[in-house]
Amino acid sequence: MLVGAFAVAHTPQLLIRPETEDRDLVLRVHAAMGRVKRRLQELEPDAIAIVAGDHVEAFFLDAVPALAVYVGRECAGTFGPYRYCLAIHEPLARAVVEQGIERGFDLLYTQDAKLDYAFYVPLHFVMPEPARPIVPLHVNVYLPPQPTPARCHAWGAALGEILRARPERVALIASGGMSHFPGTDRYASPEFDYDRALLEQLREGRGRELARVTGEELDKRGNIELRTWITLLGAVGDVRADVYCYEPSWHHGNAVVEWPLPGI
Amino acid sequence: MSEVAHYRFPPSQAYPLNRCLYALKSDPAFIERFLADPVGATTEMGLTEGERADLRRMDRDALVARGAHPYLVFMAGLRLKMAAEPGALEYF
Repeated sequence: MLVGAFAVAHTPQLLIRPETEDRDLVLRVHAAMGRVKRRLQELEPDAIAIVAGDHVEAFFLDAVPALAVYVGRECAGTFGPYRYCLAIHEPLARAVVEQGIERGFDLLYTQDAKLDYAFYVPLHFVMPEPARPIVPLHVNVYLPPQPTPARCHAWGAALGEILRARPERVALIASGGMSHFPGTDRYASPEFDYDRALLEQLREGRGRELARVTGEELDKRGNIELRTWITLLGAVGDVRADVYCYEPSWHHGNAVVEWPLPGI
Repeated sequence: MSEVAHYRFPPSQAYPLNRCLYALKSDPAFIERFLADPVGATTEMGLTEGERADLRRMDRDALVARGAHPYLVFMAGLRLKMAAEPGALEYF
């Protein structure tokens, strides 16, 4: 069953802070992530499914999957001095890939790909104790052509049905967002107003409208990573978002959000 | 606002350049090799002279115009900067 749904920023500056990053802002985002950790502690999930966009780390141009599921025993990666290795909930991961394919989603699966920091950063801050096994779900956000928002939403809807039918208590996390333009001339000018309007829409429980946004629009607004959120929105439906924080730094709109699920 | 997409389909002629940037981003052994012998390391990657010159200057706009992925340029540049001047970083 699906017991929790969250979106958590994964800006690397939240993990490794250079002098150019406002320390108080970073700590405020940490506090919001601490709330997620406490919520996860209360929700007692058996597994955490996390949707993130690989940052050209596991998947380079030798093979570019639109959607992928990590199904090995564990998954490991590095970021700066961090070395991490996380257990995968194998039965759940396998069910997601098998049932996802049954439902018409041609998922790539991997038992060996590296795990990008986009998965690690949120988990570093929100993983409850003791640590739960995870199911990493990749959505291509950085290498065009990416899956359309409509496709991400449909995949999320299927994923939600799969997770709800499972015996395990599963928390779902979307990693990343909001507006930022790494590596471009727009790096110092994200679209914070766009983010704020979007959060308002999510507060009103209008998440399904995001399925109609175009990929071009997401690129223009620095929100290509919103595909991970849109996937989650497909799974949670019209639940109203509880925005824990929105903290715009000089280059990134950092948000932490929960969708409190009815009946949980 | 720019009318051109920020992240574009990576053209195949830029594959060696993107592969080199990817290695600079994610392969510590390659970063060491690059720092010790930039010409040798980039030749091994199949970069043209023009690409090598733009990479040496970390000229983002020129590299992106050649088909480099902006995110790879960004992270490769960041890794090289961190190797050159570790600076004050706070780890959480």
